[in-house]
Amino acid sequence: MLSREEWLPLARKLDWDYTYVREDEVFPEVISGHPWLPHAEWKEWEESFKTSYREYVDNQYEKDMAVYAVRDAVGRLENIQKLAAPWMNSLKVHAAALPLAEFTGVIGSLRGARFGRDSAWRTMSTFGALDEYRHTQIPLLLFHQLVRWDSQFDWAHKFYHTNNWFAIAARHFFDELTLGQNAIEFAIGTNFVLETGFTNLQFVGLASLARESSDHMFERMVTSIQTDEARHAQIGNPVLAVVMKHDPEYVQYLLDKWFWRSWRTFSILTGLSIDYLTALEQRPYSFKEFMEEWIIDQFLRTLDEFGLKKPWYWDIFEDELDIYHHMIYASAYTYRATLWFDFVIPSPAERKWLRQKYPKYWDDMDAVWEQVIDRWRTVGPGAANELAVHGTAMPTFCDLCQLPLSAGSPRKNTANVVAKDGRKYIFCSEPCRWIFLREPERYANHKDLVKRVLSGEAPAHLPDLLTDYFRLTPDTWGEDIYHGAYDWLAAKKTSVA
Amino acid sequence: MYMPMPLYGFLEGDTLGLLMLAEEGETVLQLARRLQDAANIRVARSDNVDFLYDGKTIDPVLTVAQAGLQALDRFDVIRRHAL
Repeated sequence: MLSREEWLPLARKLDWDYTYVREDEVFPEVISGHPWLPHAEWKEWEESFKTSYREYVDNQYEKDMAVYAVRDAVGRLENIQKLAAPWMNSLKVHAAALPLAEFTGVIGSLRGARFGRDSAWRTMSTFGALDEYRHTQIPLLLFHQLVRWDSQFDWAHKFYHTNNWFAIAARHFFDELTLGQNAIEFAIGTNFVLETGFTNLQFVGLASLARESSDHMFERMVTSIQTDEARHAQIGNPVLAVVMKHDPEYVQYLLDKWFWRSWRTFSILTGLSIDYLTALEQRPYSFKEFMEEWIIDQFLRTLDEFGLKKPWYWDIFEDELDIYHHMIYASAYTYRATLWFDFVIPSPAERKWLRQKYPKYWDDMDAVWEQVIDRWRTVGPGAANELAVHGTAMPTFCDLCQLPLSAGSPRKNTANVVAKDGRKYIFCSEPCRWIFLREPERYANHKDLVKRVLSGEAPAHLPDLLTDYFRLTPDTWGEDIYHGAYDWLAAKKTSVA
Repeated sequence: MYMPMPLYGFLEGDTLGLLMLAEEGETVLQLARRLQDAANIRVARSDNVDFLYDGKTIDPVLTVAQAGLQALDRFDVIRRHAL
Protein backbone atom coordinates (compact mmCIF):
# COMPACT_ATOMS: atom_id res chain seq x y z
CA MET A 1 0.00 0.00 0.00
CA LEU A 2 1.25 3.48 -0.83
CA SER A 3 1.94 5.87 2.02
CA ARG A 4 -0.01 9.14 2.21
CA GLU A 5 2.99 11.05 0.86
CA GLU A 6 3.13 8.72 -2.13
CA TRP A 7 -0.50 8.52 -3.17
CA LEU A 8 -1.73 12.03 -2.36
CA PRO A 9 0.24 13.72 -5.18
CA LEU A 10 -1.08 11.09 -7.57
CA ALA A 11 -4.65 11.62 -6.45
CA ARG A 12 -4.75 15.40 -6.42
CA LYS A 13 -2.44 16.06 -9.35
CA LEU A 14 -3.91 13.79 -11.99
CA ASP A 15 -3.82 15.27 -15.50
CA TRP A 16 -3.58 13.52 -18.83
CA ASP A 17 -3.47 14.27 -22.54
CA TYR A 18 -6.72 14.10 -24.50
CA THR A 19 -6.84 12.06 -27.66
CA TYR A 20 -10.52 12.03 -28.65
CA VAL A 21 -11.22 15.73 -28.13
CA ARG A 22 -9.21 18.93 -28.19
CA GLU A 23 -8.20 20.55 -24.93
CA ASP A 24 -10.11 23.73 -25.79
CA GLU A 25 -13.27 21.63 -26.16
CA VAL A 26 -12.82 20.15 -22.71
CA PHE A 27 -12.09 23.58 -21.25
CA PRO A 28 -13.85 26.18 -23.43
CA GLU A 29 -12.63 29.72 -22.79
CA VAL A 30 -16.16 30.99 -22.23
CA ILE A 31 -16.44 28.95 -19.04
CA SER A 32 -12.82 28.20 -18.11
CA GLY A 33 -11.92 31.85 -18.45
CA HIS A 34 -9.51 34.22 -20.12
CA PRO A 35 -6.73 33.86 -21.14
CA TRP A 36 -7.08 30.42 -22.63
CA LEU A 37 -3.72 28.67 -22.24
CA PRO A 38 -2.65 25.09 -22.88
CA HIS A 39 -2.29 22.94 -19.80
CA ALA A 40 1.49 23.15 -19.98
CA GLU A 41 1.12 26.71 -18.66
CA TRP A 42 -0.89 25.48 -15.66
CA LYS A 43 0.93 22.28 -14.74
CA GLU A 44 2.99 23.92 -11.97
CA TRP A 45 -0.22 25.08 -10.25
CA GLU A 46 0.10 24.42 -6.50
CA GLU A 47 -1.46 25.35 -3.21
CA SER A 48 -0.12 24.75 0.26
CA PHE A 49 -2.86 22.76 2.01
CA LYS A 50 -2.68 19.54 -0.02
CA THR A 51 -5.57 17.93 1.79
CA SER A 52 -6.93 14.49 1.07
CA TYR A 53 -10.66 13.82 1.02
CA ARG A 54 -10.43 11.66 4.13
CA GLU A 55 -8.52 14.36 6.00
CA TYR A 56 -11.00 16.95 4.82
CA VAL A 57 -13.97 14.97 6.10
CA ASP A 58 -12.29 14.24 9.44
CA ASN A 59 -11.44 17.92 9.96
CA GLN A 60 -14.86 19.17 8.95
CA TYR A 61 -16.55 16.64 11.21
CA GLU A 62 -14.54 17.88 14.18
CA LYS A 63 -15.33 21.49 13.35
CA ASP A 64 -19.04 20.74 13.01
CA MET A 65 -19.05 18.93 16.35
CA ALA A 66 -17.41 21.97 17.96
CA VAL A 67 -20.11 24.25 16.54
CA TYR A 68 -22.87 21.94 17.75
CA ALA A 69 -21.29 21.73 21.20
CA VAL A 70 -21.27 25.53 21.48
CA ARG A 71 -24.84 25.68 20.22
CA ASP A 72 -25.94 23.20 22.86
CA ALA A 73 -24.06 25.06 25.59
CA VAL A 74 -24.73 28.72 24.80
CA GLY A 75 -26.66 28.91 21.53
CA ARG A 76 -30.16 28.14 22.69
CA LEU A 77 -33.03 30.54 22.30
CA GLU A 78 -32.83 31.61 25.92
CA ASN A 79 -29.15 32.52 25.43
CA ILE A 80 -29.83 34.49 22.27
CA GLN A 81 -32.69 36.38 23.92
CA LYS A 82 -30.23 37.85 26.41
CA LEU A 83 -28.21 39.61 23.72
CA ALA A 84 -28.47 43.39 23.34
CA ALA A 85 -31.22 44.44 20.93
CA PRO A 86 -28.96 46.38 18.50
CA TRP A 87 -26.58 43.41 18.21
CA MET A 88 -29.55 41.13 17.62
CA ASN A 89 -30.38 43.24 14.60
CA SER A 90 -26.82 42.99 13.36
CA LEU A 91 -27.39 39.24 13.50
CA LYS A 92 -30.51 39.64 11.34
CA VAL A 93 -28.49 41.47 8.70
CA HIS A 94 -25.95 38.68 8.50
CA ALA A 95 -28.53 35.92 8.88
CA ALA A 96 -30.13 37.17 5.67
CA ALA A 97 -27.07 38.13 3.65
CA LEU A 98 -24.81 35.18 4.44
CA PRO A 99 -26.34 31.71 3.89
CA LEU A 100 -27.62 31.84 0.32
CA ALA A 101 -24.70 34.00 -0.79
CA GLU A 102 -22.54 31.12 0.40
CA PHE A 103 -24.71 28.80 -1.66
CA THR A 104 -23.85 30.80 -4.77
CA GLY A 105 -20.25 30.10 -3.74
CA VAL A 106 -21.04 26.39 -4.10
CA ILE A 107 -21.96 26.95 -7.75
CA GLY A 108 -18.88 29.06 -8.45
CA SER A 109 -16.61 26.56 -6.73
CA LEU A 110 -18.12 23.69 -8.69
CA ARG A 111 -17.33 25.59 -11.86
CA GLY A 112 -13.71 25.61 -10.72
CA ALA A 113 -14.03 21.92 -9.83
CA ARG A 114 -14.94 21.15 -13.44
CA PHE A 115 -13.34 23.88 -15.51
CA GLY A 116 -10.27 24.83 -13.48
CA ARG A 117 -7.28 24.29 -15.69
CA ASP A 118 -5.24 22.00 -13.44
CA SER A 119 -6.32 18.94 -11.50
CA ALA A 120 -4.96 20.25 -8.18
CA TRP A 121 -7.07 23.40 -8.70
CA ARG A 122 -10.10 21.24 -9.44
CA THR A 123 -9.48 19.13 -6.34
CA MET A 124 -9.22 22.19 -4.15
CA SER A 125 -12.37 23.68 -5.72
CA THR A 126 -14.27 20.49 -4.91
CA PHE A 127 -13.40 20.97 -1.25
CA GLY A 128 -14.29 24.66 -1.63
CA ALA A 129 -17.76 23.70 -2.87
CA LEU A 130 -18.25 21.39 0.12
CA ASP A 131 -17.10 24.23 2.37
CA GLU A 132 -19.67 26.58 0.91
CA TYR A 133 -22.45 24.02 1.41
CA ARG A 134 -21.42 23.97 5.05
CA HIS A 135 -21.51 27.78 5.20
CA THR A 136 -25.03 27.69 3.82
CA GLN A 137 -26.35 25.01 6.10
CA ILE A 138 -24.86 26.07 9.44
CA PRO A 139 -26.35 29.57 9.57
CA LEU A 140 -29.68 28.32 8.21
CA LEU A 141 -29.75 25.73 10.99
CA LEU A 142 -28.73 28.12 13.75
CA PHE A 143 -30.99 30.97 12.76
CA HIS A 144 -34.00 28.81 11.99
CA GLN A 145 -34.61 28.15 15.69
CA LEU A 146 -35.06 31.92 16.17
CA VAL A 147 -37.89 32.31 13.65
CA ARG A 148 -40.59 31.19 16.09
CA TRP A 149 -39.42 33.92 18.46
CA ASP A 150 -38.80 36.75 15.96
CA SER A 151 -40.13 36.48 12.41
CA GLN A 152 -37.49 38.87 11.06
CA PHE A 153 -35.09 35.91 11.29
CA ASP A 154 -37.19 34.25 8.59
CA TRP A 155 -35.24 36.44 6.20
CA ALA A 156 -32.29 34.06 6.63
CA HIS A 157 -33.96 31.98 3.96
CA LYS A 158 -36.30 34.51 2.41
CA PHE A 159 -34.00 37.44 1.66
CA TYR A 160 -32.58 36.43 -1.72
CA HIS A 161 -36.00 35.26 -2.90
CA THR A 162 -37.44 38.74 -2.59
CA ASN A 163 -37.11 41.92 -4.62
CA ASN A 164 -36.19 43.91 -1.55
CA TRP A 165 -33.85 46.70 -2.69
CA PHE A 166 -30.91 45.34 -0.74
CA ALA A 167 -31.59 41.84 -2.05
CA ILE A 168 -31.55 43.22 -5.61
CA ALA A 169 -28.14 44.76 -4.88
CA ALA A 170 -26.79 41.63 -3.20
CA ARG A 171 -28.01 39.39 -6.03
CA HIS A 172 -26.49 41.72 -8.61
CA PHE A 173 -23.16 41.35 -6.81
CA PHE A 174 -23.20 37.62 -6.09
CA ASP A 175 -24.83 36.60 -9.37
CA GLU A 176 -21.91 38.11 -11.22
CA LEU A 177 -19.18 37.19 -8.76
CA THR A 178 -20.12 33.57 -8.24
CA LEU A 179 -23.16 32.17 -10.06
CA GLY A 180 -22.42 33.34 -13.57
CA GLN A 181 -18.67 33.45 -13.52
CA ASN A 182 -15.99 31.59 -15.43
CA ALA A 183 -13.39 29.66 -13.45
CA ILE A 184 -10.56 32.20 -13.77
CA GLU A 185 -12.58 35.28 -12.88
CA PHE A 186 -14.18 33.36 -10.01
CA ALA A 187 -10.73 32.42 -8.68
CA ILE A 188 -9.48 36.00 -8.86
CA GLY A 189 -12.69 37.78 -7.87
CA THR A 190 -13.91 35.38 -5.19
CA ASN A 191 -10.91 33.41 -3.95
CA PHE A 192 -8.30 36.14 -4.24
CA VAL A 193 -10.09 39.46 -3.70
CA LEU A 194 -13.14 38.54 -1.65
CA GLU A 195 -11.90 35.64 0.42
CA THR A 196 -8.36 36.72 1.15
CA GLY A 197 -9.49 40.28 1.76
CA PHE A 198 -13.05 40.94 2.65
CA THR A 199 -14.00 37.75 4.42
CA ASN A 200 -11.47 38.77 7.06
CA LEU A 201 -13.72 41.73 7.56
CA GLN A 202 -16.80 39.62 7.74
CA PHE A 203 -15.54 36.71 9.79
CA VAL A 204 -12.55 37.87 11.82
CA GLY A 205 -14.05 41.27 12.54
CA LEU A 206 -17.49 39.95 13.33
CA ALA A 207 -16.11 37.13 15.46
CA SER A 208 -14.34 39.74 17.55
CA LEU A 209 -17.50 41.85 17.87
CA ALA A 210 -19.57 38.78 18.71
CA ARG A 211 -17.15 37.85 21.47
CA GLU A 212 -17.33 41.37 22.90
CA SER A 213 -21.12 41.19 22.68
CA SER A 214 -21.18 37.81 24.49
CA ASP A 215 -22.65 36.15 21.41
CA HIS A 216 -20.53 33.02 21.58
CA MET A 217 -22.69 31.09 19.17
CA PHE A 218 -22.17 33.56 16.34
CA GLU A 219 -18.50 33.93 17.26
CA ARG A 220 -17.96 30.18 16.97
CA MET A 221 -19.93 29.95 13.74
CA VAL A 222 -18.03 32.65 11.86
CA THR A 223 -14.67 31.49 13.24
CA SER A 224 -15.40 27.98 12.02
CA ILE A 225 -16.42 29.31 8.61
CA GLN A 226 -13.26 31.41 8.39
CA THR A 227 -11.01 28.35 8.78
CA ASP A 228 -12.57 26.98 5.58
CA GLU A 229 -12.30 30.30 3.80
CA ALA A 230 -8.61 30.57 4.65
CA ARG A 231 -8.02 27.20 2.99
CA HIS A 232 -9.96 27.49 -0.25
CA ALA A 233 -8.99 31.16 -0.67
CA GLN A 234 -5.55 29.74 -1.53
CA ILE A 235 -6.90 28.86 -4.97
CA GLY A 236 -6.71 32.50 -5.95
CA ASN A 237 -2.99 33.21 -5.67
CA PRO A 238 -1.66 30.52 -8.05
CA VAL A 239 -4.39 31.28 -10.62
CA LEU A 240 -3.52 34.95 -10.46
CA ALA A 241 0.20 34.18 -10.79
CA VAL A 242 -0.32 32.29 -14.06
CA VAL A 243 -2.65 34.88 -15.57
CA MET A 244 -0.24 37.66 -14.58
CA LYS A 245 2.42 36.15 -16.84
CA HIS A 246 0.15 36.35 -19.87
CA ASP A 247 -2.25 39.26 -19.35
CA PRO A 248 -1.35 41.51 -16.39
CA GLU A 249 -3.70 44.27 -17.55
CA TYR A 250 -6.63 41.87 -17.30
CA VAL A 251 -5.60 40.87 -13.78
CA GLN A 252 -5.37 44.53 -12.78
CA TYR A 253 -8.85 45.13 -14.19
CA LEU A 254 -10.37 42.18 -12.33
CA LEU A 255 -8.68 43.27 -9.15
CA ASP A 256 -9.87 46.87 -9.48
CA LYS A 257 -13.40 45.78 -10.32
CA TRP A 258 -13.83 43.19 -7.60
CA PHE A 259 -12.16 45.17 -4.87
CA TRP A 260 -14.62 48.00 -5.50
CA ARG A 261 -17.67 45.79 -5.80
CA SER A 262 -16.69 43.88 -2.64
CA TRP A 263 -16.08 47.13 -0.80
CA ARG A 264 -19.55 48.38 -1.68
CA THR A 265 -21.25 45.27 -0.27
CA PHE A 266 -19.11 44.70 2.80
CA SER A 267 -18.94 48.33 3.87
CA ILE A 268 -22.66 48.01 4.47
CA LEU A 269 -22.75 44.51 5.91
CA THR A 270 -19.92 45.09 8.34
CA GLY A 271 -19.72 48.85 8.66
CA LEU A 272 -23.21 49.16 10.10
CA SER A 273 -22.58 46.32 12.55
CA ILE A 274 -19.34 47.75 13.91
CA ASP A 275 -20.20 51.44 14.12
CA TYR A 276 -23.93 51.38 14.92
CA LEU A 277 -25.29 47.98 15.98
CA THR A 278 -22.63 47.04 18.54
CA ALA A 279 -22.86 48.63 21.98
CA LEU A 280 -20.33 51.44 22.34
CA GLU A 281 -18.44 49.83 25.20
CA GLN A 282 -18.12 46.63 23.14
CA ARG A 283 -16.58 48.21 20.05
CA PRO A 284 -12.86 47.38 20.08
CA TYR A 285 -12.27 49.57 17.02
CA SER A 286 -14.10 51.59 14.43
CA PHE A 287 -15.00 50.13 11.06
CA LYS A 288 -12.37 52.36 9.46
CA GLU A 289 -9.67 51.22 11.88
CA PHE A 290 -10.54 47.62 11.22
CA MET A 291 -10.43 48.16 7.46
CA GLU A 292 -7.03 49.78 7.73
CA GLU A 293 -5.55 47.03 9.88
CA TRP A 294 -7.12 43.91 8.41
CA ILE A 295 -7.90 44.71 4.82
CA ILE A 296 -5.83 47.55 3.45
CA ASP A 297 -2.42 46.64 4.85
CA GLN A 298 -2.75 43.02 3.80
CA PHE A 299 -4.24 43.88 0.42
CA LEU A 300 -1.49 46.34 -0.45
CA ARG A 301 1.21 43.87 0.60
CA THR A 302 -0.35 41.25 -1.66
CA LEU A 303 -0.46 43.68 -4.57
CA ASP A 304 3.23 44.36 -4.10
CA GLU A 305 4.03 40.65 -4.12
CA PHE A 306 2.39 40.25 -7.51
CA GLY A 307 3.65 43.48 -9.03
CA LEU A 308 0.14 44.92 -9.19
CA LYS A 309 -0.79 48.57 -8.68
CA LYS A 310 -3.25 50.07 -6.27
CA PRO A 311 -6.64 50.47 -7.93
CA TRP A 312 -6.84 53.79 -9.80
CA TYR A 313 -9.67 54.94 -7.51
CA TRP A 314 -7.67 54.47 -4.29
CA ASP A 315 -8.13 58.10 -3.20
CA ILE A 316 -11.90 57.78 -3.64
CA PHE A 317 -11.89 54.54 -1.67
CA GLU A 318 -9.89 56.07 1.20
CA ASP A 319 -12.27 59.02 1.31
CA GLU A 320 -15.25 56.65 1.44
CA LEU A 321 -13.82 54.94 4.52
CA ASP A 322 -14.77 58.11 6.39
CA ILE A 323 -18.30 58.54 5.14
CA TYR A 324 -19.97 55.96 2.87
CA HIS A 325 -21.42 53.59 5.47
CA HIS A 326 -22.54 56.57 7.56
CA MET A 327 -24.49 57.94 4.59
CA ILE A 328 -26.04 54.52 4.04
CA TYR A 329 -26.99 54.03 7.69
CA ALA A 330 -28.67 57.42 8.04
CA SER A 331 -30.49 56.88 4.73
CA ALA A 332 -31.56 53.39 5.74
CA TYR A 333 -32.73 54.57 9.17
CA THR A 334 -35.08 57.01 7.50
CA TYR A 335 -36.30 54.23 5.18
CA ARG A 336 -36.14 51.46 7.77
CA ALA A 337 -39.56 50.02 6.88
CA THR A 338 -38.01 48.96 3.56
CA LEU A 339 -35.71 46.51 5.40
CA TRP A 340 -36.17 43.42 7.57
CA PHE A 341 -34.28 44.49 10.68
CA ASP A 342 -34.57 47.26 13.25
CA PHE A 343 -32.41 50.32 13.75
CA VAL A 344 -31.15 52.49 16.56
CA ILE A 345 -30.29 56.19 16.65
CA PRO A 346 -26.69 56.78 17.81
CA SER A 347 -26.77 58.20 21.32
CA PRO A 348 -24.91 61.40 22.28
CA ALA A 349 -22.03 59.27 23.60
CA GLU A 350 -21.93 57.28 20.36
CA ARG A 351 -22.03 60.45 18.29
CA LYS A 352 -19.11 61.78 20.29
CA TRP A 353 -17.22 58.54 19.59
CA LEU A 354 -18.12 58.73 15.89
CA ARG A 355 -16.88 62.30 15.75
CA GLN A 356 -13.55 61.20 17.21
CA LYS A 357 -13.24 58.29 14.81
CA TYR A 358 -14.54 60.11 11.73
CA PRO A 359 -13.66 63.80 12.16
CA LYS A 360 -13.58 64.61 8.45
CA TYR A 361 -17.32 64.47 7.77
CA TRP A 362 -19.03 63.95 11.10
CA ASP A 363 -20.34 67.52 11.40
CA ASP A 364 -22.48 66.93 8.32
CA MET A 365 -23.69 63.55 9.56
CA ASP A 366 -24.43 64.93 13.01
CA ALA A 367 -26.72 67.55 11.47
CA VAL A 368 -28.72 64.75 9.84
CA TRP A 369 -29.15 62.90 13.14
CA GLU A 370 -30.11 66.12 14.88
CA GLN A 371 -32.89 66.58 12.32
CA VAL A 372 -34.12 63.00 12.79
CA ILE A 373 -34.11 63.48 16.55
CA ASP A 374 -36.03 66.74 16.22
CA ARG A 375 -38.70 64.88 14.27
CA TRP A 376 -39.06 62.27 17.03
CA ARG A 377 -39.22 65.06 19.55
CA THR A 378 -42.00 66.73 17.55
CA VAL A 379 -44.18 63.67 17.06
CA GLY A 380 -43.31 61.96 20.34
CA PRO A 381 -42.11 58.40 20.91
CA GLY A 382 -44.21 55.33 20.21
CA ALA A 383 -44.73 52.62 17.63
CA ALA A 384 -47.70 54.50 16.21
CA ASN A 385 -45.40 57.35 15.20
CA GLU A 386 -42.86 55.23 13.32
CA LEU A 387 -44.01 56.32 9.90
CA ALA A 388 -44.05 59.97 10.94
CA VAL A 389 -40.28 59.66 11.28
CA HIS A 390 -39.78 57.99 7.94
CA GLY A 391 -39.06 59.03 4.37
CA THR A 392 -41.89 58.97 1.85
CA ALA A 393 -40.22 59.95 -1.44
CA MET A 394 -38.75 57.23 -3.61
CA PRO A 395 -35.01 56.73 -2.95
CA THR A 396 -32.73 56.34 -5.96
CA PHE A 397 -30.24 53.63 -6.83
CA CYS A 398 -26.99 53.15 -8.73
CA ASP A 399 -27.21 51.36 -12.09
CA LEU A 400 -24.08 49.34 -11.24
CA CYS A 401 -24.06 48.44 -7.55
CA GLN A 402 -27.87 48.85 -7.19
CA LEU A 403 -27.34 50.53 -3.82
CA PRO A 404 -28.74 53.95 -2.88
CA LEU A 405 -27.13 57.02 -4.43
CA SER A 406 -25.35 57.75 -1.15
CA ALA A 407 -21.74 58.24 -2.23
CA GLY A 408 -19.66 61.36 -1.79
CA SER A 409 -20.73 63.40 1.19
CA PRO A 410 -23.82 65.29 2.35
CA ARG A 411 -22.26 68.43 0.88
CA LYS A 412 -21.49 66.87 -2.48
CA ASN A 413 -23.15 63.69 -3.66
CA THR A 414 -21.03 62.11 -6.42
CA ALA A 415 -23.86 60.54 -8.43
CA ASN A 416 -23.41 61.05 -12.16
CA VAL A 417 -25.64 60.45 -15.18
CA VAL A 418 -24.41 58.81 -18.39
CA ALA A 419 -26.35 58.69 -21.66
CA LYS A 420 -25.53 55.59 -23.72
CA ASP A 421 -27.28 54.02 -26.70
CA GLY A 422 -30.40 56.11 -26.19
CA ARG A 423 -30.74 55.32 -22.50
CA LYS A 424 -29.73 57.11 -19.33
CA TYR A 425 -27.92 55.49 -16.46
CA ILE A 426 -26.95 56.95 -13.11
CA PHE A 427 -24.01 55.84 -10.99
CA CYS A 428 -23.25 56.56 -7.37
CA SER A 429 -19.54 57.01 -7.98
CA GLU A 430 -16.79 57.16 -10.57
CA PRO A 431 -15.67 53.54 -9.98
CA CYS A 432 -19.22 52.21 -10.46
CA ARG A 433 -19.51 54.18 -13.72
CA TRP A 434 -16.08 52.92 -14.85
CA ILE A 435 -16.99 49.28 -14.21
CA PHE A 436 -20.27 49.65 -16.07
CA LEU A 437 -18.64 51.26 -19.08
CA ARG A 438 -15.93 48.58 -19.25
CA GLU A 439 -18.55 45.86 -19.68
CA PRO A 440 -21.82 47.53 -20.70
CA GLU A 441 -23.11 44.38 -22.42
CA ARG A 442 -23.00 42.67 -19.04
CA TYR A 443 -24.88 45.33 -17.09
CA ALA A 444 -26.99 47.47 -19.41
CA ASN A 445 -30.17 45.41 -19.39
CA HIS A 446 -30.47 45.15 -15.63
CA LYS A 447 -33.12 47.52 -14.28
CA ASP A 448 -32.53 49.25 -10.99
CA LEU A 449 -35.49 49.69 -8.65
CA VAL A 450 -36.39 53.18 -9.90
CA LYS A 451 -36.61 51.99 -13.49
CA ARG A 452 -38.72 49.02 -12.39
CA VAL A 453 -41.12 51.43 -10.75
CA LEU A 454 -41.16 53.79 -13.73
CA SER A 455 -41.85 50.89 -16.13
CA GLY A 456 -44.72 49.62 -13.96
CA GLU A 457 -42.89 46.42 -13.07
CA ALA A 458 -42.80 47.41 -9.39
CA PRO A 459 -45.50 49.38 -7.54
CA ALA A 460 -44.93 53.11 -7.14
CA HIS A 461 -47.07 53.36 -4.01
CA LEU A 462 -44.70 52.85 -1.06
CA PRO A 463 -46.94 50.55 1.06
CA ASP A 464 -47.54 48.32 -1.98
CA LEU A 465 -43.83 48.35 -2.76
CA LEU A 466 -43.05 47.18 0.77
CA THR A 467 -45.60 44.39 0.89
CA ASP A 468 -46.03 43.23 -2.71
CA TYR A 469 -42.50 43.70 -4.03
CA PHE A 470 -40.18 43.67 -1.01
CA ARG A 471 -42.35 41.00 0.66
CA LEU A 472 -42.31 42.74 4.03
CA THR A 473 -45.21 42.89 6.45
CA PRO A 474 -45.99 45.24 9.34
CA ASP A 475 -44.62 42.49 11.61
CA THR A 476 -41.31 42.21 9.81
CA TRP A 477 -40.46 45.61 8.37
CA GLY A 478 -37.81 47.59 10.15
CA GLU A 479 -38.56 50.01 12.96
CA ASP A 480 -36.64 52.02 15.50
CA ILE A 481 -35.82 49.48 18.21
CA TYR A 482 -37.04 51.90 20.89
CA HIS A 483 -39.68 53.70 18.79
CA GLY A 484 -37.97 56.98 19.64
CA ALA A 485 -38.19 56.43 23.40
CA TYR A 486 -34.57 57.22 24.27
CA ASP A 487 -33.82 58.70 27.69
CA TRP A 488 -31.46 61.23 26.18
CA LEU A 489 -33.88 62.24 23.44
CA ALA A 490 -36.20 63.95 25.90
CA ALA A 491 -33.43 66.43 26.68
CA LYS A 492 -33.66 69.63 24.69
CA LYS A 493 -30.32 69.50 22.92
CA THR A 494 -28.32 66.42 21.96
CA SER A 495 -25.72 68.01 19.73
CA VAL A 496 -22.31 66.69 20.60
CA ALA A 497 -19.26 68.88 20.52
CA MET B 1 -51.36 63.37 -22.25
CA TYR B 2 -48.64 64.89 -20.11
CA MET B 3 -46.56 62.50 -18.07
CA PRO B 4 -44.65 63.76 -15.04
CA MET B 5 -40.93 63.87 -15.70
CA PRO B 6 -38.79 61.67 -13.40
CA LEU B 7 -35.68 63.45 -12.16
CA TYR B 8 -32.91 62.67 -9.71
CA GLY B 9 -32.90 65.34 -6.99
CA PHE B 10 -29.99 65.97 -4.63
CA LEU B 11 -30.36 68.32 -1.70
CA GLU B 12 -27.20 69.67 -0.10
CA GLY B 13 -26.85 68.15 3.36
CA ASP B 14 -28.77 64.98 2.48
CA THR B 15 -27.44 61.43 2.50
CA LEU B 16 -29.10 60.13 -0.68
CA GLY B 17 -30.72 61.22 -3.91
CA LEU B 18 -34.50 61.16 -4.29
CA LEU B 19 -36.74 60.52 -7.26
CA MET B 20 -38.81 63.61 -8.04
CA LEU B 21 -41.65 63.66 -10.56
CA ALA B 22 -41.69 67.14 -12.07
CA GLU B 23 -45.06 68.62 -12.98
CA GLU B 24 -45.87 70.46 -16.20
CA GLY B 25 -45.45 74.19 -15.71
CA GLU B 26 -43.78 73.78 -12.35
CA THR B 27 -41.00 76.28 -11.68
CA VAL B 28 -37.63 75.06 -10.60
CA LEU B 29 -38.15 76.89 -7.29
CA GLN B 30 -41.33 74.91 -6.68
CA LEU B 31 -39.48 71.71 -7.52
CA ALA B 32 -36.67 72.71 -5.16
CA ARG B 33 -39.20 73.28 -2.37
CA ARG B 34 -40.75 69.87 -2.97
CA LEU B 35 -37.33 68.25 -2.76
CA GLN B 36 -36.70 70.08 0.52
CA ASP B 37 -40.02 68.81 1.87
CA ALA B 38 -39.23 65.25 0.77
CA ALA B 39 -35.83 65.35 2.49
CA ASN B 40 -36.97 67.27 5.53
CA ILE B 41 -36.68 64.27 7.81
CA ARG B 42 -32.92 64.48 7.32
CA VAL B 43 -32.22 68.08 6.31
CA ALA B 44 -33.54 71.24 7.96
CA ARG B 45 -35.31 73.54 5.55
CA SER B 46 -33.43 76.59 4.31
CA ASP B 47 -35.28 79.51 2.69
CA ASN B 48 -32.38 80.62 0.54
CA VAL B 49 -31.50 77.97 -1.96
CA ASP B 50 -30.20 77.77 -5.50
CA PHE B 51 -31.27 75.30 -8.17
CA LEU B 52 -28.35 73.83 -10.09
CA TYR B 53 -28.62 71.96 -13.35
CA ASP B 54 -25.79 70.94 -15.62
CA GLY B 55 -23.33 72.96 -13.56
CA LYS B 56 -25.30 76.21 -13.80
CA THR B 57 -27.55 78.10 -11.39
CA ILE B 58 -31.05 78.28 -12.87
CA ASP B 59 -33.34 81.29 -12.58
CA PRO B 60 -35.95 80.18 -10.00
CA VAL B 61 -38.89 81.48 -12.04
CA LEU B 62 -38.12 79.27 -15.03
CA THR B 63 -40.22 76.17 -15.50
CA VAL B 64 -38.64 72.76 -15.59
CA ALA B 65 -39.08 72.68 -19.36
CA GLN B 66 -37.64 76.17 -19.83
CA ALA B 67 -34.61 75.16 -17.79
CA GLY B 68 -34.03 72.32 -20.26
CA LEU B 69 -34.37 69.44 -17.84
CA GLN B 70 -35.07 66.08 -19.39
CA ALA B 71 -36.21 62.76 -17.96
CA LEU B 72 -33.72 61.09 -15.61
CA ASP B 73 -31.47 64.15 -15.39
CA ARG B 74 -29.81 65.17 -12.14
CA PHE B 75 -30.50 68.47 -10.43
CA ASP B 76 -29.14 69.89 -7.19
CA VAL B 77 -30.60 72.20 -4.58
CA ILE B 78 -27.92 73.94 -2.56
CA ARG B 79 -27.97 76.47 0.21
CA ARG B 80 -27.21 79.97 -0.99
CA HIS B 81 -24.13 80.99 0.91
CA ALA B 82 -23.72 84.61 1.99
CA LEU B 83 -20.95 86.38 0.10
